[in-house]
Amino acid sequence: MTVADLWSAMPLVILATGAMIILLLGAVVPGRHGIAVGAVAALGSAGWALLSPPAQAATLGLVVSPFSRFFTLLFGVVTASTLLLSRDWLARRRMEGEEYPATLLFAGFGMAVVAAADNLLILFLGLEALTFAFYLLAAMDRDDPNSAEAGLKYLLMGGAAAAFTAFGLALIYAGTGALELSAVAVTGGNGVLLAGWGLLLAGLAFKVSLVPFHLWTPDVYQGAPTPVVALLATGSKAAGVAALLLLLGKSGTTFLHTPLWLLALLSMVVGNLAALCQRNVKRMLGYSAIAQMGYVVMALLTGSGDGFAAALFYLVLYCAMNLAAFGGVGSLVGEESTGLIDELSGLGYRAPWRSAVLALGMLALAGIPPTAGFAGKFSLFRAALAGGEVTLAVIGMLTAALSLFYYLRVVATLYFRPAQGATAPVVTPATMIPLAIVSLLLLLLGVWPEGVLQITQTITR
Amino acid sequence: MTDSCILSLLILLPLLGGLLLLPLNGRPALARWLALTIVALEFGLMLLVTLKTPAQGVGLLPGGYFLLEDRPWIPHFGIRYLVGMDGISYLMALLTAFITPLAVFTSWRSIKERVGFHFSLILFLEGAIMGIFLSLDLILFYFFWEAMLIPMFLLIGIWGHGNRIHSALKFFIFTFSGSVLMLLGIIGVHLVHLAQSGKATFAIPELIGTTFPPALEGWLFAAFLLAFSVKAPLVPFHTWLPDAHTDAPTAGSVDLAGLLLKTGAYGFIRIAWPLFPGAAAALTPLLLVVAVVGIIYGSWIAYAQTDLKRLVAYSSIGHMGFVMLGIAAWTPVSLTGSVLQMVNHGITTGALFALVGMLGERAGTREIAAFGGLWQRAPLLSGLFLFFAMASAGVPGLNNFVGEFLILAGSFRAAHLMTVIAFIGVILPLIYTVRLSQRLLFVTPRSDFSMGDLSHRETVILGSLALVDLYLGVHPIQFLELLKGPVELLTGGAP
Repeated sequence: MTVADLWSAMPLVILATGAMIILLLGAVVPGRHGIAVGAVAALGSAGWALLSPPAQAATLGLVVSPFSRFFTLLFGVVTASTLLLSRDWLARRRMEGEEYPATLLFAGFGMAVVAAADNLLILFLGLEALTFAFYLLAAMDRDDPNSAEAGLKYLLMGGAAAAFTAFGLALIYAGTGALELSAVAVTGGNGVLLAGWGLLLAGLAFKVSLVPFHLWTPDVYQGAPTPVVALLATGSKAAGVAALLLLLGKSGTTFLHTPLWLLALLSMVVGNLAALCQRNVKRMLGYSAIAQMGYVVMALLTGSGDGFAAALFYLVLYCAMNLAAFGGVGSLVGEESTGLIDELSGLGYRAPWRSAVLALGMLALAGIPPTAGFAGKFSLFRAALAGGEVTLAVIGMLTAALSLFYYLRVVATLYFRPAQGATAPVVTPATMIPLAIVSLLLLLLGVWPEGVLQITQTITR
Repeated sequence: MTDSCILSLLILLPLLGGLLLLPLNGRPALARWLALTIVALEFGLMLLVTLKTPAQGVGLLPGGYFLLEDRPWIPHFGIRYLVGMDGISYLMALLTAFITPLAVFTSWRSIKERVGFHFSLILFLEGAIMGIFLSLDLILFYFFWEAMLIPMFLLIGIWGHGNRIHSALKFFIFTFSGSVLMLLGIIGVHLVHLAQSGKATFAIPELIGTTFPPALEGWLFAAFLLAFSVKAPLVPFHTWLPDAHTDAPTAGSVDLAGLLLKTGAYGFIRIAWPLFPGAAAALTPLLLVVAVVGIIYGSWIAYAQTDLKRLVAYSSIGHMGFVMLGIAAWTPVSLTGSVLQMVNHGITTGALFALVGMLGERAGTREIAAFGGLWQRAPLLSGLFLFFAMASAGVPGLNNFVGEFLILAGSFRAAHLMTVIAFIGVILPLIYTVRLSQRLLFVTPRSDFSMGDLSHRETVILGSLALVDLYLGVHPIQFLELLKGPVELLTGGAP
């Protein structure tokens, strides 16, 4: 390992040391500096990834490629936004202390490791690092029993999924004798390797909440602190898809076509149907996430460059949409909220900007122009049709039409119903700035998606 | 003549104006006048475009367009910002620029809450509908096609009456569900063309002439047909319309009847038929039946209505059935009639909805049974109501007669039986409008609410609409000339 290697691994180093510094600072100047330091570290890591030249040689199982830089940038920005969005929420819940920002930054570190992995063990370590951080984060609101419940559920099911992943990797190692990512390429008739792939896929399907490995999602989304869910829904999902992209990019999707097809179909159908019946906003968004991941897998399973590029493009939009959605919900509902959609009644006029962000997020998730959601849906379904997945695309489209109902219900509640007693809590620019940025991004990418499309195309080539 | 930016201005001016009005909720007077200025400017732009319409088809660009603008938009997918105007889109754009001021005027006094937001939504709607009528790229078209639903959804849901939330959701979900498969259809057409020619494009003029495998063509055509049928609306996809109309604020009803329904019919003419002539020809018998069922059914149900607005809404279904009949027959004469009838229906029904809105606001009810004897109390209003009711019923000398005549005359050559049945549909509107006018205007008053006559503002708007109706009724030749070229290109024969 040379100095140059260290230099190129700097984005990861910044995230990890940032987390340490926050904890150390807590011993010296306890207070709320953690958020600021964390946001700076996350943005610094993102900036470094953006500006550093790609160094191709892999060391320590890490590689700096356009792919990893793209994701590091995405994770850095998402982590920083989540930290900022957390500030007002933490103040409302009187959760002072450094453990929250440090753990959040550590989750960001895990995500960045996943995207930079060139080795199956490193990939596993990255995935577990980020999931471990989320076990803590989900349970961090000590005064809220729902939070503890969410943390425990995530831990129990996540532990099982981690066991699946680890055993799958072990089988792949047993079948091929290698731990490099390229080892996952299936060569005819290697039963052990195939069995390993099956377990690995189950583990990853858990991470990105594909039906039937989705059961934790609605519960954790509902119970965990809202800003934590914002990161769980964006960064953690993107990291899971990044892992899928890395592995499927090496192995191709032909031998996995049927399982992926079924996962996509079930996720789209079950996710959308279940979301229709929800009365809790965050729970509804949890089911919506399941459905959305179904669309992404639909594009992935074509195995084409188009499909991978569309999935990458959609991930960027997906992060922006969910930050808008959870950021909006988190800033609109107050202390004694139970999280029902009805509690948003009439807030469209009491808190016009935050409500507009939430409504925009809903319309984007539904894929309606002029929001970026349309460009994203278009590229996913175009890739699916170009890859010959006509049946899946038609079913996906029909379920997307269904999904409009539950997304619109939030918009209708915000603007059409008379305001009830509750008012939206007061927020500071720490909440408003990230919300403004994601909203502008959602509109800008809706009207002019070409720039990001070019980038995703270059990366997947 | 590629006078490039004028078409973009037509689309962008209302959209930017809408953005400008968004924060003006606290200043209603300013918002009203600003909105009026912007729609007036837009109308002025249309007049400017009118100066550029070539006489006798000279100076046309290939494809019959007299204005065209072509820029890359999302080159990654081969999507272009391609907008163009031929005779058909010119008439539709003119209608849009003409109906929107009516929508602005009808909400002048009646909207008292969140005025800035209301007018900005009307402007967004105008911009999006302009975009639909001018787009020549399928994705650009689809972009506006769905974006248009948001302002209408909010208009119904926020300022509507009665069961407004339910109606707003029903409107959005019906029309959106109808269109999602069209997006797959668009991608399908694109991919087939890509495989055949190697050129990635969504431009309608380039996609025309693509040959599809017969089975696939049927499915693709069905996807487009569904989207346009829900919007037009054709029976049995019409159930969202009466609800949306009844619960929408007056401006929403005016835009809905005057413009939104036209986008569906326009889609048939601009996209579905030219792209899939084979499938369209094969399905013609079915479509003729659907059109005629719409004519009879819409008029029949209209007769039974007790709510003024619902009556006009169902009459729209009947009238759009006529438009569909002309399209399904696809002869030069019937198609000309259909396009003209779209304009006629937009103006006449728009005016009727405005009048119904005024009646409803003055009386506080829209029950037909509550009215009576209006002629003595509000002669101007009653006179204009009678005028537009007669126009809507297709009385000769007024505009709807011209459209209906052309449609029936043109369709008869292609489909004898269906046209003969459709003739009954000419009588039915007369029955319900005469009965309605009698119960509303002439019998003895049944309740004694005070009924003020039209204000000067209202008289001017409705009077000018009446003049247009009359002009189109006695001297439609200029408009027919405009349609000659495009219709010839579409049907391959002169009208």
